[in-house]
This record gives sequence, C-alpha cells and structure tokens, in this order.
Amino acid sequence: MTDLSISTTSPSAAIPQKSLPEAAPKVTARSLNFYYGEHHALKDINLTLGTNRVTAFIGPSGCGKSTLLRIFNRMYDLYPGQRATGQLMLDQTNILDPKLDLNLLRARIGMVFQKPTPFPMTIYENIAFGIRLYEKISKSEMDGRVEKALRGGALWNEVKDKLNASGLSLSGGQQQRLCIARTVAVRPEVILFDEPCSALDPISTAKVEELIQELSEDYTIAIVTHNMQQAARVSDKTAFMYLGELIEFDDTSKIFTSPSDRRTQDYITGRFG
Amino acid sequence: MAVQSDVLAAAGPYDRAKALSAFKLGDITFYWITRACAISVLLILGGIILSLIAGAWPAIKEYGLPFLWTQRWAPSADPPVLGALGPVYGTLITSVIAMMIAIPVGIGIAVFLTELCPQWLRRPIGIAIELLAGIPSIIYGMWGFFVLGPFLANTFQPFMIRLFDGVPVLGAVFAGPPSYLSLFNASLILAIMVLPFITAISVDVFKTVPPVLKEAAYGVGCTTWEVVRNVVIPYTRVGVIGGIMLALGRALGETMAVTFIIGNSFRISSSIFAPGTTISAAIASEFAESDGLHQSGLILLGLLLFVLTFIVLACARLMLMRLEKKAGN
Repeated sequence: MTDLSISTTSPSAAIPQKSLPEAAPKVTARSLNFYYGEHHALKDINLTLGTNRVTAFIGPSGCGKSTLLRIFNRMYDLYPGQRATGQLMLDQTNILDPKLDLNLLRARIGMVFQKPTPFPMTIYENIAFGIRLYEKISKSEMDGRVEKALRGGALWNEVKDKLNASGLSLSGGQQQRLCIARTVAVRPEVILFDEPCSALDPISTAKVEELIQELSEDYTIAIVTHNMQQAARVSDKTAFMYLGELIEFDDTSKIFTSPSDRRTQDYITGRFG
Repeated sequence: MAVQSDVLAAAGPYDRAKALSAFKLGDITFYWITRACAISVLLILGGIILSLIAGAWPAIKEYGLPFLWTQRWAPSADPPVLGALGPVYGTLITSVIAMMIAIPVGIGIAVFLTELCPQWLRRPIGIAIELLAGIPSIIYGMWGFFVLGPFLANTFQPFMIRLFDGVPVLGAVFAGPPSYLSLFNASLILAIMVLPFITAISVDVFKTVPPVLKEAAYGVGCTTWEVVRNVVIPYTRVGVIGGIMLALGRALGETMAVTFIIGNSFRISSSIFAPGTTISAAIASEFAESDGLHQSGLILLGLLLFVLTFIVLACARLMLMRLEKKAGN
C-alpha cells in the first residue's frame, strides 16, 4: 500500500529531519570483492558503517545487497565455492581472516532474516538458547535476561503469559520480533537485517521499524530493504547498489532528495527496479 | 479458441452430461479398487493373527501364562516342557544392544553426510550405505560366522573380559569365556544391518531443514554441533524416530543372520558373550523338525514376537506424542 506513492510523491516527506555528526567507523570495507564460483557478484565495494547508525542498502533484486550483508558475518562460509577478497574490518578485527573464530564473530554481528526463523523450541528457549552458548548463568538471571531481550524485541507484553508455548505458534510479525529479541539477547555490536519486513503485514512492519529505530541507540545496524520509504524512515545513511557495484553512499536525506548519480535518481523515483 | 467453443455449444447440454457420466463410472470404479486394496491389508493382517492364534492354541491351553516366564525349553521331554523366557530375553537384549550401537553411528553418519562432508565424498559414502541395505541377510550371517565371530572372540571379547574382570555388574555382563557364537556378535551384526535404515532416513529428513533456519542458528554463533543438536535434530525428530523404529522392527524380527551366529541356546546367561537365542532364530532352527505341541509352542513364540513388535510400535507412538507436547505444539 505504501509502495503506491513512490512514483507520485517525493519520498523526502518521510525523511527524519536530523543531521547527525559523523560517527566513528564500526565496520569498514575496502575494495571488497565477492565471487559465487566464477560469478563476480560484488565489485570493489568501499564503505563504512558508523557506530550506532542505521545504514540502509537499497537497489534492484540481484544487485548484491544481501550478498554484502552475508559477508559481514561470514555466512557465505557455509557454502563451498563462495569467496571474498579485499579488506573488511570490524573495529580492529579482520572479518575475512580465515583463522577467525566464526562463532565469536557471529556473536558480535547478529543477523535477522527475511523470513522469521524461530527455532523449534519454546519462546523462552528461543531466547535462552543463544545466551547459553556464551554464558553460564543461573535460572533467575536467565529469566531476567529473557525478559529484557523480549522487551527489547517489543514482544514481552504479548508473550509473557505463554513463554512455554512453541515459538512456531506465534504470528509472522511476532515470530520476526522474537528473532530480533533472540539476536539482541546475545548482546551483539552490529545487527544485520536482511529484508526483515518483506514477509510482514503493515502493522507488524511499523512495529519492527520502530524497534530498529530504538535499537540504533545501542547497536550499529545494517538493513537491506526493497521498500524505499522504509529506508528513508529508519536509516541515517543509505547505500544504493546496482549490478554488484556500490553506486552511491551518502546521508539518507541527500540520497532521497538530491542524489548525485543518475541511476540513483532513476531508482528512487521508480523509473526502474 | 472460437472454433472450439462453437463445437462445444453445438454439442448441447445433453451430450456433456453423458460425457461426464462416463467419467463418473470411472471414478466409482477407481474408488472401489483403491478401497479394496486398502481393505485387503486389514484382511491379510487379521488372517495372520487368527491363524497364529489358532496354531498356538494347543500350546496356550497346555502352558498358559507361565509360558512367558519359564526358561526351560525341552521339546523332547515327555510331555514337552516349553518356556519363552530365553528367546524373548535374547530378542530384547540383541535388539537393545544393536540399537545402542546403530543409533549413534547411524545419526553420526547422517550428520556427517549432510553437514560436514566435502561434496566429492558424499556420493561414495551414500552409495555404500545403500549397498549395505541391499546385502541379503544370509550373507551377513555367513560373514558373521566365518569372519566377525572368530575375530571378536580372539580380540575384542578377551579384552573386554579382562577390562571388566572383578567390576560389579559390568564384570558379569562381560564374562568369559569368549565365544564365536554369542548374543553380542548377533547384536553387532544386527547393528550393521539396521544402520542403513537409520542413516538413509535421517539424511532424508535432515535435508528438509530449511537452510535459513540453520543460518539463523549459525547467526547467533552456534557451532555445527550446536546447530545439529539444537536445531536440526529437534526439527526432524519425528522423522528420525520413525527411522529408528523401522530399524528396531527389523532388528526384532531379523532371522537368518541371527540364527547363524547367536548359538541357539535357550539358557539365559548374564554375559552378553554367551550364546543365546531369539524368537525368530528359535523358530527358524526348530520349525522343520517339530510337530504337535512343540510346533504349537513355536507358533506361540511367533505370536509373542508379533505382540512384542506391536507394543514397541505403540510405545514409539506414545513417545512421539509426548515429545510433541513437550515442544509446546
């Protein structure tokens, strides 16, 4: 429903009127390239995710947004034949270091997927599970952490009476917020959202967007989205990608009002994509 | 398009109804054929149960319930003394030991094949597992008798007997002397025979886990072991348990290989290295020379195996239902 307005009105109306000071870099990519076997999927990407900023990635399908996100937490490592070259730093840690402990990396960089992915266990266990991987804490302490995480995921009031119900019994939007709570529970530094709202209804979408805004106070956030209003609403910086290249990367307000590249202009006004 | 609709219109409603009624006849026939197929299963099952009960009736009348806990099996005594305790014990023990070996190994292979194995090794191992399922049981029997039995009796059994000598309980379980024909050897052969069932079914159901669910688990920082333990197996547990039950059913009823290597002794020994017998092995080795009450006793054993398998399957169902409840569904 919101998509209808893209081509008719300027999306600039939705832009938060704030201009933040330049944030300290959290994740830095330098001449980053990515290959699916022979296919060169990402070409020479240079960008910086600012600490406690929301960075949105937009672009037509297949442009490499999700691929880029999956490099940040080395998810591509699960699949043979996929490789990245170049430099990618999380603070002082080289993410692409083959000797890096991936479990620790993924604890520092959490990910929320396009489809809700609750684990086949109770709501309580869905949260406690991730915490237990890293910490040995008492039952009462765990109860507190689970509650805090569920509050962090804006889900506590809806599930506090049925923590022992299966995570799969929740609605789609609730499942997605459960997944966000689960990600937050591990206390990551960066959270990656891969089209977190594309399977949700507008009300759930609004809730998740609000949540992302709140989370940005404590976390560095990267979000891939196909919904340009969403990018405009939630992000501080926006990156426009096209055919595996980073075309433009700038303040969200600038991208949506006066983009410097012709292709960005065409995309945000809905002429292609 | 236009031509076709003209033809249809010209044909008129009457013809169309007629054409449809021809389909209807086919539909009814189809319904009855499939229904007959389904009912025939019930008839065959019922017939088998009835004939088993009829055949076992003389023995039931003669021995009654004590048949279940009598150990002595002396068909040539006058009158014959028959008790099912030895074969029932052997059947349960060999199956339990076989499952204790086959479940971890089978699931381990499945996990390796789906989660860890390099692509080029996947097919060879997968095919080897399938071939394992295709080997006729008589070949397992011969191999167990001529190769595995002597090997175990010369190496593994003496080692275990020495290791647990003097230890309470375990000392009695692993007591000597080593034997070519024993409960343990039969269990090991059974484990190898049922392994393909567990592995093949586990591999199939592990493949149904959505990649994104596994990625989510890796995404909170799980190791492969934690992903398998907490996501893959809970997600697929119904299928895995189904595979285990299929394997258990086979282990309980397996006859030829076991008859070869179990030693066919009706005496119950605490040691798993002693010879024993199972229900199916007892029937297979004695049925040809039996008559009268002896034969009826063997049929009663068969009926017992039938009931035993049924109870195991029922327990499996119950366990699945409780697991579902625990998972909160």
